[in-house]
Amino acid sequence: MASLTRRRFFRQGGLGLLTFCVGGCEVQMTPGEARRQSATMRILAPKEVATLEALADTLLPGSRELGIAHYIDHQLAEPADRQLLMIKYLNVDPPFAAFYREGLAALERAAASGGEGSFDELPEDLKHELVARMSRENPPGWGDGPPAPFFYFILRNDALDVTYGTMDGFAALGIPYMAHIEPPSRWGE
Amino acid sequence: MNLPRDKVDAVIVGSGAAGSAMAARLAEGGKSVVLLEAGPARSPADLVSSGIWARRLKWGGDPVLEDGDQPVGYVFNAGFGTGGSAMHHYAVWPRFHREDFDVSSRHGRGLDWPIGYDELAPWYDEVQEEAGVSGDAEQEIWRPPGAPYPLPPVPVFPQGEILARGFSARGLHTAPLPLAILSKRYRGRAACLWDGWCDAGCPIGALANPMTVHLPRAAAASAVLETDATVTRVLTNANGDRAVGVEFARAGGARERVMADVVVLAAFAVQNPRLLLASSSDRHPNGLANSSGLVGRYVMSHGAGLIYGLFDEDTQCHMGAFGGQLVNQDGYPKDMHAEDGAFGSYQWMIGQAVRPNDLLGIGTTRADLFGNDLHAFMRRAARGFASMTAVVEDLPVADNAVRLSDRKDPSGVPLATVTHTVDPASHALWQSVLAEGTAIFEAAGADSVWTGPRGAMHIMGGTIMGDDAGSSVTNSYGQCHDVPNLVIAGPGLFPTSAGVNPTFTVHALTARAADYLLKHWSALQP
Repeated sequence: MASLTRRRFFRQGGLGLLTFCVGGCEVQMTPGEARRQSATMRILAPKEVATLEALADTLLPGSRELGIAHYIDHQLAEPADRQLLMIKYLNVDPPFAAFYREGLAALERAAASGGEGSFDELPEDLKHELVARMSRENPPGWGDGPPAPFFYFILRNDALDVTYGTMDGFAALGIPYMAHIEPPSRWGE
Repeated sequence: MNLPRDKVDAVIVGSGAAGSAMAARLAEGGKSVVLLEAGPARSPADLVSSGIWARRLKWGGDPVLEDGDQPVGYVFNAGFGTGGSAMHHYAVWPRFHREDFDVSSRHGRGLDWPIGYDELAPWYDEVQEEAGVSGDAEQEIWRPPGAPYPLPPVPVFPQGEILARGFSARGLHTAPLPLAILSKRYRGRAACLWDGWCDAGCPIGALANPMTVHLPRAAAASAVLETDATVTRVLTNANGDRAVGVEFARAGGARERVMADVVVLAAFAVQNPRLLLASSSDRHPNGLANSSGLVGRYVMSHGAGLIYGLFDEDTQCHMGAFGGQLVNQDGYPKDMHAEDGAFGSYQWMIGQAVRPNDLLGIGTTRADLFGNDLHAFMRRAARGFASMTAVVEDLPVADNAVRLSDRKDPSGVPLATVTHTVDPASHALWQSVLAEGTAIFEAAGADSVWTGPRGAMHIMGGTIMGDDAGSSVTNSYGQCHDVPNLVIAGPGLFPTSAGVNPTFTVHALTARAADYLLKHWSALQP
């Protein structure tokens, strides 16, 4: 019990949930809650959100509902030195919004070049096929966006963060979280 | 905190491992010390146990531009804020070996250090006592002579036991990994709980990071730490042969100065040479302390040899330390893989505690998987995943260098560009190491084994030490040959990278340098 007490001594409880805007008011909530309450996006346009959610849900099913678009949008609105996105490790110049926008636009071009319409409206098997190709090379029509395998890698890791990088994500895998200081937001609730 | 208005004895740039240790020692030696840190102030309460939130400990300052075939991964390897990169280091503290100090003399490759192991050994001994290092010196059959560790070895969990089986089957030896993490209570600090949150900063003080060990000592001795203070220039006298202080920019851009008798640059292996190059003047048109033309050159970064596998057994891969549980250094002889065209030393760090996400997380190791296949893999790996990492020596190459970019930061200081291309012999060694690691996992009974890309681990060089001003930037104490009261501290001094983690050696060099500076302080005065 002593170690448990020590482990929790810095516990911060529910402090510091991410701040989203709902109905003109700033509210702290998880990205999943923000999605359910249709919190206002600060960086991404509605079409970009639709493409991002469809891509993320193909990469890791369930990440759409866990609020991946709200998570990324929130981080992109933060100053560069406070952003938590993994892209910061990977030699991309901040601000990172341009990277996400260009990647999403390239994905839409690739989807359109197949003649089936917007990516988020593709049948699941075609989404899967296009993402599989992204993981290896630039699909036809991709154009000037960031290299498709790199964009795939970044978005895939964002989806892993939202899905399995949280206390709930650890619990879903049966991994004890064992925090000294719990993260301030239980993303995915 | 108000900065002193008068000149101080020493101003130190950077609050990481080298800067904080230097600050503590100089302040305890009676010197007035100001420590300038580019990043924000942090306290133990900021060290959130999360692979996501821990990213705030990584570099968040001016962009560093990278090129070459193996970029050094500056943002991942560097730190930002109180304690610098040592706040997210894994505290794997092996000693360099004798043969690391005279590679050129022994093998006709690389460079020699101006000192040998025997000169550094007493400082390793002293530092391990003050920091608290856990290990088993007798089991480390490769370890050069030195005092036994002050703390018993770290525990071994199922992942370590399983992988040790593979080493044993291949006729290889394992020993407890030497860690600057407390295996039991030590000098008022709590013992580790083996929960794997090392890189998130360790708020309980079990891991010997600057916030735990040296910054409290520095503060107790009246050193002043100023955060959000980005140094923009080293100031010199009219002749250009003495440093007189530094200029720095506040977060809002306002410029201030700290004047000092001694200036210590401890801002890591990229920002130190950037500052020297950016401090050019009529007297030093090619950069300060750069009469050799070597400022910025010989940047090195260990190749990470990443081996992963799945086992039928429950590996409990979340338990232990982020750096691992066991070590193997059977691969230390530098010409062991000469038949493959390889050269250099390496060690295995065995059985790392892992998390599901982040760059070194379980999910990232199989970047080819997505969709429901990725979910299935995550569930399977949560029980049976295992990993180990080789620290692979990187030969010094003169053209691997920090240079000034045409782009500038908001203060007008050119950004750093870091070029790093791996020497063919170092790359061949990394390839040989992957083959060995794969065989070890197979011998341990892994169901499946795979490897990762060549990651960049640690950054060294750029301001190498040596015996003379023509072939090095500093002497063995870090004093610049051209400007003796300008001192470099940190891994930038290393002429070669060895095949082990650098932080213990950074501390030993810093302790030795601080002791020398205190004993010869009057000689540093004008």
